Amino acid sequence: MTILDRSEWYDIARETNWTPTFVTEEELFPEVMTGGLGVTRDKWEKYDEPYKTSYPEYVKIQREKDAGAYSVKAALERNKLFETADPGWISILKSHYGGLALGEYAAMSAEARMTRFGPAPGMRNMATFGMLDENRHTQLQLYFPHEHCSKDRQFDWAVKAYHTNEWAAIATRRMVDDLFLGRDAISIAIMLTFAFETGFTNMQFLGLSSDAAEVGDYTFSSLISSIQTDESRHAQIGGPALEVLIANGKKAEAERMVYQGIAGAWRLFCVLTGPSMDYNTPLAHRKHSFKEFMQEWIIGQFERSLIDLGLDLPWYWDKLVAEFDYMHHAYQLGLWYWRPTIWWNPAAGVTPDERDWLEEKYPGWNDTFGKCWDVIIENVVAGRMDKTYPETLPILCNMSQLPICAIPGNGWNVKDYPLEYQGRTYHFNSEIDRWMFQQSPERYRDHMSLVDRLLAGQIQPPDIGGILKYMNIAPGECGDDAHKYAWADAYRVNPFSKSAA
Amino acid sequence: MTMPEILKPLKTWEHLSGARRKPSEYEIVSTNLHYSTDDQNSPFELDPNFDIALWFKKYRNESPIKHPDWNSFRDPDEIVYRTYNLIQDGQEAYVFGLLDQFSDREHDKALSPSWVALLGRLYTPNRYLFHSLQMHSAYICQMAQASTISNCATYQTADHLRWLTHTAYRTAELAKVHGAAGFGLNEKNRWLSDPAWLDIRELVEKALVAWDWAESFVVLNLIVKPSIEGATIRSLGESARRNGDTLLGLLSDAQLVDASRHQKWSRALVKKMLEQDENREQLRVWIRKWMPLAKAAINSYCQYLVEVPDAAERSIATVEEFHASLGL
Repeated sequence: MTILDRSEWYDIARETNWTPTFVTEEELFPEVMTGGLGVTRDKWEKYDEPYKTSYPEYVKIQREKDAGAYSVKAALERNKLFETADPGWISILKSHYGGLALGEYAAMSAEARMTRFGPAPGMRNMATFGMLDENRHTQLQLYFPHEHCSKDRQFDWAVKAYHTNEWAAIATRRMVDDLFLGRDAISIAIMLTFAFETGFTNMQFLGLSSDAAEVGDYTFSSLISSIQTDESRHAQIGGPALEVLIANGKKAEAERMVYQGIAGAWRLFCVLTGPSMDYNTPLAHRKHSFKEFMQEWIIGQFERSLIDLGLDLPWYWDKLVAEFDYMHHAYQLGLWYWRPTIWWNPAAGVTPDERDWLEEKYPGWNDTFGKCWDVIIENVVAGRMDKTYPETLPILCNMSQLPICAIPGNGWNVKDYPLEYQGRTYHFNSEIDRWMFQQSPERYRDHMSLVDRLLAGQIQPPDIGGILKYMNIAPGECGDDAHKYAWADAYRVNPFSKSAA
Repeated sequence: MTMPEILKPLKTWEHLSGARRKPSEYEIVSTNLHYSTDDQNSPFELDPNFDIALWFKKYRNESPIKHPDWNSFRDPDEIVYRTYNLIQDGQEAYVFGLLDQFSDREHDKALSPSWVALLGRLYTPNRYLFHSLQMHSAYICQMAQASTISNCATYQTADHLRWLTHTAYRTAELAKVHGAAGFGLNEKNRWLSDPAWLDIRELVEKALVAWDWAESFVVLNLIVKPSIEGATIRSLGESARRNGDTLLGLLSDAQLVDASRHQKWSRALVKKMLEQDENREQLRVWIRKWMPLAKAAINSYCQYLVEVPDAAERSIATVEEFHASLGL
């Protein structure tokens, strides 16, 4: 056996930069697609990807991984998980696939941007594997939900969601487009791989994977933990890109990109993962609260990796950490109240026992969010269902495209953060969202939120029926309470036990 | 408001449910995945006219090549990620088996000095060329009008990294045995200034900045790839066999398996484009525009393959026959 060790030829495979002479350097790597803040391409020669692999190793390992993921699925096909699992868990699967499958495909395009326009050959080669990885993640996360299509129309949204103007889909597209699909190669390396994949996908994939195993959904658990092993490899494209920027006097600009990436990703995970963990996952199977996951996976991880690179914590760090206590509870209220406008059936998650858990994990919950749920519960118990549905849209943030909301009840802190820019007033959910807009207003200026479109007459008739039509969501797809309001029975027996804590 | 009909579950995705047969795994996981093509005026959920939005509007949405239903394109090989790895893991096992055997037989020691010199001049600089094909394929992936097209470009991107990898590996092996020949050291200079490579480099540099997505596809898959596959892979491989370098001949054949797969989807995409008769003339315009550079590239390179005197002529004829067979 005389096969050379990878280290003997690896460097040759990444010595592929040359200075073009038939076109200019700027033509070959245009600023709009490459980015890089004016750091010249020769400086990128120092780029060194920490995770090294090669084509033959990649196809071998990935072949084995796929054999694992697909065989778990095949082996468990006859188990009756879909029929026996808690409806809240099924809702997590629907929101996950609809929110992620086509986003993974957008990430493939973003990896392709780094493969074509990345200034360093090592980055371009790693991004080639990244393209393949994201291709894999799209295909797995379409193949797995597809088998449920014939049982439940909402599973069609695994592929449909991104093609609609459904509000959560708009918010998801905003994040995906702003953090990677609509960015240059260097920004993608930082915002997608460093900010988004290093921290947040870790949480969605490892956090949900552990919940899935608890619930007994081993197919989903093995699927997403297999995906995460790819993510943790190609997420390492961003770190050395930051090192090059910092070494060439661009620390402040690099920090700004990291901060935008973290803030953008946080909003999306807050609305998708937060309610999944704290409301939809059956109480008996919750290992940690969303806040605990955030503290363990996000805070610790980001603080370590930022410090390692010599970067400062974001100016908004304390504000973001403070949001762990309330923002996803506010989004959960919105998701449940506007349930006909989403493609999964949200669990209310507010039985007396669940409220005890919420109060324990988030002291003060009963006095704030609980007060809103009290009203909902009273209406449900009294059969006044019309009062539990919306008649129009909430005010939306011009950055996140999510409702402007915060703490209700005794902790009231809901506030609009407006900004006048070139004659238009924009509305934001927080100082962080407004700051994001101010970093590059030209990226957002003429975008219209769903509410802006309603007010401009683009949605007709301007009522909930017209809005649903505009969102392309119809009965049979529209969400409803996951447990068909059975959770309210506890309050029918004793309506005064709602604030158990 | 009048309540619309209640939608029932379907057997597959709504967009595939009209077909009379059960969709294949390929269709389930590959079709209708680009959402940035939905609103022609605003590709992203951002300002409709910021710089990257303008790039996509200009070079993709406003391309002179039009089709009302790009999503109807299908890869004739119906490759999905997991079959791609199955195929290529098998192919790599074969190639690394060859590398192992030939190394055990001390193959490189038996090569003649003149052939070793020619390898340094005409073979190992290929890694720059193959890398440019990798980059260019990735551009088509991100700009294509349909996910079924992007997927073909994704696997093609990876295949070119495969070719680059083989070349880098052989470069390191040759450097061990023929240290004085400059393997691993001289390739960039050859690529930049050797007359064998200048015209090829002119072709690929200019091709890389043909931004219209359809022109980018035409120049890469109908011009650059068939040209260089004829010259720097097939003809060089023939030359290798005539110089006792059986290994390079076999390696070239292994890469040409990928190339023929690339030609299959290229043929299918041209067929899709030609469903709109108005597209034919524009495709011909591009072929006329790029062929002179391609011919120059083939001629400059092949003149040094003295054991294959008709290499240039045959390579050019193969490219032209390919175009003719496409109706172009």
